[in-house]
Amino acid sequence: MAFDIDQYTETSEGVTWEDLDFGAFDTTPLGEYTLRTVRYMCNVEYHTVCYLRDLLVTPSHKERDVNAFMTMWNREEYWHGEALAAVLGRHGITVDYDELKAARVKLEWRDKLAPLRQSIMGNLVGDDFVAVHMAWGAANEWSATAAYRRLATLEQHPALSPLLKRIGQQETRHTAFYATQARKRLEKSALARKLTRLALAKAWRPVGSSISDEEDLDHVMKHLFNGADGLAEIRRIDTNIAKLPGMEGLTIFETALRRHEMDWPAA
Amino acid sequence: MTRPDVSTAEPASPPAGFSVHEFARTARGSHRAELDLDAYATRPLEAGALEMVALLERLERGALSYLRSVLVTPTHKDARVTGFLVTWAYEKFWVADALELIVAAHPDFVPATADAPKLRAARHALAERLEPIRESVVANLIGDDVVAVHCAAGAIDEWITATAYERLAEFTDHPVFAATMTRLRDVKRRHDTYFTDEARRRLAASPAAGRLARRRLRRASWPLGAVDEPPPLVARLLGGLVIASDLVDLDARVDALPGLAGLDLVTTAAQGARKAAAR
Ligand SMILES: [Fe+2]
Ligand SMILES: [Fe+2]
Repeated sequence: MAFDIDQYTETSEGVTWEDLDFGAFDTTPLGEYTLRTVRYMCNVEYHTVCYLRDLLVTPSHKERDVNAFMTMWNREEYWHGEALAAVLGRHGITVDYDELKAARVKLEWRDKLAPLRQSIMGNLVGDDFVAVHMAWGAANEWSATAAYRRLATLEQHPALSPLLKRIGQQETRHTAFYATQARKRLEKSALARKLTRLALAKAWRPVGSSISDEEDLDHVMKHLFNGADGLAEIRRIDTNIAKLPGMEGLTIFETALRRHEMDWPAA
Repeated sequence: MTRPDVSTAEPASPPAGFSVHEFARTARGSHRAELDLDAYATRPLEAGALEMVALLERLERGALSYLRSVLVTPTHKDARVTGFLVTWAYEKFWVADALELIVAAHPDFVPATADAPKLRAARHALAERLEPIRESVVANLIGDDVVAVHCAAGAIDEWITATAYERLAEFTDHPVFAATMTRLRDVKRRHDTYFTDEARRRLAASPAAGRLARRRLRRASWPLGAVDEPPPLVARLLGGLVIASDLVDLDARVDALPGLAGLDLVTTAAQGARKAAAR
């Protein structure tokens, strides 16, 4: 699938929810179990900017299309955070900048070396490393689409489900960009295919796992992907990854989730 | 009794007047429908002005370079600042887009930099290998004070380029172009307000931040990104387009930031560009 960057930038907008009936949250509030998952998603969306910095210290930021996409993409993700924060706000849960800052400060030890390592690696292997980032981004976006689709289905909520559908539609466009970029770069270079396969197979973790408590991650994965339907969704996005050049046979999502002792039908 | 550690304490409260949420909600996107590009076919801009428009476009596109150097430092942890920067980068993208389209509406115009991209790419590539790594090591040690430096740098850069927009509108005497310049200048006004408020508040709260800012700002190129541009162009921007008395006024504004008196950043940058251009 080709990706038209001009068409994307000109139609990029923050997700809206003013026209949705948020009053439905007063009559049919979300349960605590669901709110915990929404809270996780909200944090992940707001923290996208931290992922952006890893992308920007590699050579990819020199490229015009990539720059244009990153600018729009980052803003769309920020608005996903705002939208989910509005949902949480209706339930008396405040997500503010100070709290987000506190979370980032707490994670200091974990990400202090990340930009360094990424920058050195990125510059050493140059463009081939950009392929890794793009495939990684595609994996993140595919898992985001899967997560929002599952939550919308599970809840069938008159306000939440349509909001998640809107967010999911934007995630689908993100997926298209990353997958197109990854495919183009992977096709060109055997080294890129090797590095990407290695990175995805060895290092891939669910989105947000680096910025969240292990218990929260476990909660979200089980909530969204337990059961036969959850497994089917996970296999569907694994198929997408496996279709990228050189990624045949990878099952990164299923492998990552099996760590969580999922309630899945036996194979 | 405990005494607050002035140099590392977080400034008490964010600027009362500026809401990052409101800024994000009312972000200004594409200007394409308002540019009236056909007007340039009947009344084109002169090559000298176009050269400045093209330069300003490249400088506005530097938003992601700025983000890179900011995000590898502790500034990335400040969710209010990053919330601002997300929208700021978006608005700058569309400002640059407008400038690019104005240049493109002059098919006969060939930018003076057309023969220099190789050199620029080489210089840039070298800088990229050194800057982000060094900056992240140093900045992680320094902590919160570096946020003040980044806000001050953003403010000063905004003051210089905004003056350039105003002077361009004035000197070209072209109503359609002037209308676009006014429009873009309006977009930049909120960037100015935010960066200036933040810089003032943070510098006032931490003398150490002021000392760090003095060192860092002296080493930067002005406007930000000028290091990658041909010196003759920068010299024409600073001292030609932005007139001599503007340079003095701009430095006076820097002087007024807590702890930053006497740096003469802008006049020094103009002199440096003039000298480099003469070589
Ligand atoms: Fe998102
Ligand atoms: Fe996304």
